[in-house]
Amino acid sequence: MDINFSKEDLQFRDELREWLANDYPKHVKDKMDKGEHLTRQDMVDYHKALSAKGWMGYNWPVEYGGTGWSATQLYLFNKEFGLAGCPPLLAFGVSMVAPVIWTFGNEEQKKRFLPDILDFNTWWCQGYSEPGSGSDLASLKTKAVKEGDHYIVNGSKTWTTLAQNADWIFLLVRTESTGKKQEGISFLLVDMKTPGIEVKPIITIDGDHEVNSVFFTDVKVPVENLVGEEGKGWTYAKFLLAHERFGIAAVGASMRALNQLKEVVSELNNSDLDKKVAEMEIAISALEMTELRLLSDLENGGHPGAESSILKIKGTEIQQGLTELFVEAAGEYALMYPGAGGYGSNDKPSGPEHAAVSLERFLNFRKTSIYGGSNEIQKNIISKFVLGV
Amino acid sequence: MNLSYTEEQVMLREQIQKFCETEYDFYKREEVVKSDKDFDENAWSLFAEQGWLSMPFSEESGGFGFGPIELSILFEEFGKSLVIEPYLSNVVLAGSILDKSNFEGKVQLIEGICSGSSHLSLAYVEAAHSYEYLKPDTNVSEDNKLNGAKTLVLNGKNASKLIVSCVKNDEFLLVLIDTAAEGVSFNTFKTIDEKTCAEFSFENVSIEDKDIIASGDEAKNLLIETLNLATLCVSAEAVGCMISCYQKTVQYTKEREQFDQPISNFQVLQHRMVDMFIDSELAKSLLYKAMLEVDSDSEDKFKHVSALKAHVGKFGKLSAQNAIQLHGGMGVSEEMMIGHYLKKMVAIDAMFGNADFHLKAFSK
Repeated sequence: MDINFSKEDLQFRDELREWLANDYPKHVKDKMDKGEHLTRQDMVDYHKALSAKGWMGYNWPVEYGGTGWSATQLYLFNKEFGLAGCPPLLAFGVSMVAPVIWTFGNEEQKKRFLPDILDFNTWWCQGYSEPGSGSDLASLKTKAVKEGDHYIVNGSKTWTTLAQNADWIFLLVRTESTGKKQEGISFLLVDMKTPGIEVKPIITIDGDHEVNSVFFTDVKVPVENLVGEEGKGWTYAKFLLAHERFGIAAVGASMRALNQLKEVVSELNNSDLDKKVAEMEIAISALEMTELRLLSDLENGGHPGAESSILKIKGTEIQQGLTELFVEAAGEYALMYPGAGGYGSNDKPSGPEHAAVSLERFLNFRKTSIYGGSNEIQKNIISKFVLGV
Repeated sequence: MNLSYTEEQVMLREQIQKFCETEYDFYKREEVVKSDKDFDENAWSLFAEQGWLSMPFSEESGGFGFGPIELSILFEEFGKSLVIEPYLSNVVLAGSILDKSNFEGKVQLIEGICSGSSHLSLAYVEAAHSYEYLKPDTNVSEDNKLNGAKTLVLNGKNASKLIVSCVKNDEFLLVLIDTAAEGVSFNTFKTIDEKTCAEFSFENVSIEDKDIIASGDEAKNLLIETLNLATLCVSAEAVGCMISCYQKTVQYTKEREQFDQPISNFQVLQHRMVDMFIDSELAKSLLYKAMLEVDSDSEDKFKHVSALKAHVGKFGKLSAQNAIQLHGGMGVSEEMMIGHYLKKMVAIDAMFGNADFHLKAFSK
């Protein structure tokens, strides 16, 4: 066994660090470091900077203009960007719809969509969940009826992250209502400017506008926007969810938060809190080694499967736990949220700087154990595929 | 980076597993425990034949020069089967402290351990100084007489010689004494995990200069290193227990039927077993980190041992308690194996610093 990365991997890490030091857009970094909200333009600038470096297709094969990075390189990329406090990359285009398009789409679709994803010319969002379909995704009801060379889409999607910014949405729709519910689902690509689409904000408990309801009323989608075969959408949907796991452990980001927390706590002289922070540090170390073990297995030709659900469960528990400790560290200042400018503004209430940010994160991060397959679903997966019960 | 075991290490694990599965079942262990024997002599001879008793010693001392990874494999497998043989006391505590020392007679003593013909123990615990191993009251006088008392001397009853931590004029010492020497007395008891243990008193036991294994900082470092290695070993044992706890519980819930179905159908039990599985995987991860770092030059090398010990101290007990809960009444029956894992977990947590102690050590 050897816990050290190879010389090549360390060189690669240096290259990442060099970009982060010199080319990570400064206005984005400043806002992220202060815990401020990013505008749509900030996000576009950040992603375009990565495109310019050739790193946007971080998990793509070289064939489609991706980096062709190894699992270890991907790990380092995610960790270093997390440690540097970068915004999480928008997964919807580059790591969700793109692999579906290059795996199941036709040549025309690959040419039409992939280059714009790589250059971040199109912002994608995900049309999966519905008001009545959360963890039981296959029960979705949004309907697409074929009429001539169009599908007519009616229904609604919900929890659609940043739909207000999106140019395109990938949709799971029902094209067949008889038979097994998984078998009547199809995968459509839809231009958000199509008449009949309405986006309504859902404000979350942190006061942020991150997610939306999206309503479809007689929306005409050309048949050439169907990916793969009609009725096979469920297969593609599951394939996509497997790609969503990348970086789910968020080890780098959690380590950064831990280091900040340790600084805050070091001035409080609170031995109970010190103990909780130490337990958190051990938990992060365990998570990191678990990810490295899976990585090593992968690099040695193994196929770690449901074990990666551990990364989702523990990664999100740790992320949430860290925000809880920041709130504890805020003490009475935990009362002071939002600031004078109200929710969604960058105004901070009085009190230590870490306090206001911590409240917002604490509330916002409740989502982590719900999205990407809730932690309970992850436990069902482990139970079935690892424990065999 | 490569976190796979080598072929040789995989074979070692298989060899130990084979022994545990075919020759060390729980009922055989129970026979020994309930008899007047402290452990199974045949098993001990087999350990010697297989070379397991020579594993960690340097080649100069007649060993295989194996490191913490191999020891962790052995202890993980011993943990699964709740092995009671005095490996920790002989090989890890007494043996490796001698091996790393510059003590003249060490090769002959280690040979005795490797062949299984003689037993040695380390006497490092004092009742008044729980977990403070560098400040013993046991002392050597100006005229070289050892006085004091040691408790929790694992396998002390069978040991022909003891390595005793003590002070002489404020200097820390490790000295070798003969348990048959004049002034040495002891009484024995069993630990919660069925091991034999002794409390020793020393009254004017004569010490000669040649009996001093190490002194001053050298002696302190030897003890610290050895206790960290032992902490790693019992933590690996705990990892083995945690793996067995979830695996045996999964098996049991599949077989046990209530309300006309296997109780493994109930989601509340499934999720609890998943928690047990996850905690065992995280423990395994911390074990990897600790066993890879403990022999390094890193300043933090013992910190990772503390992280591991703190984790298994807390979650090992939780895992064993969950195993009992999911076994229902069977879980608390003395004749069933599953409840014994809890005793093992309590014993492991109590040794070499409990979870709280190591959490503090980690955050220093």
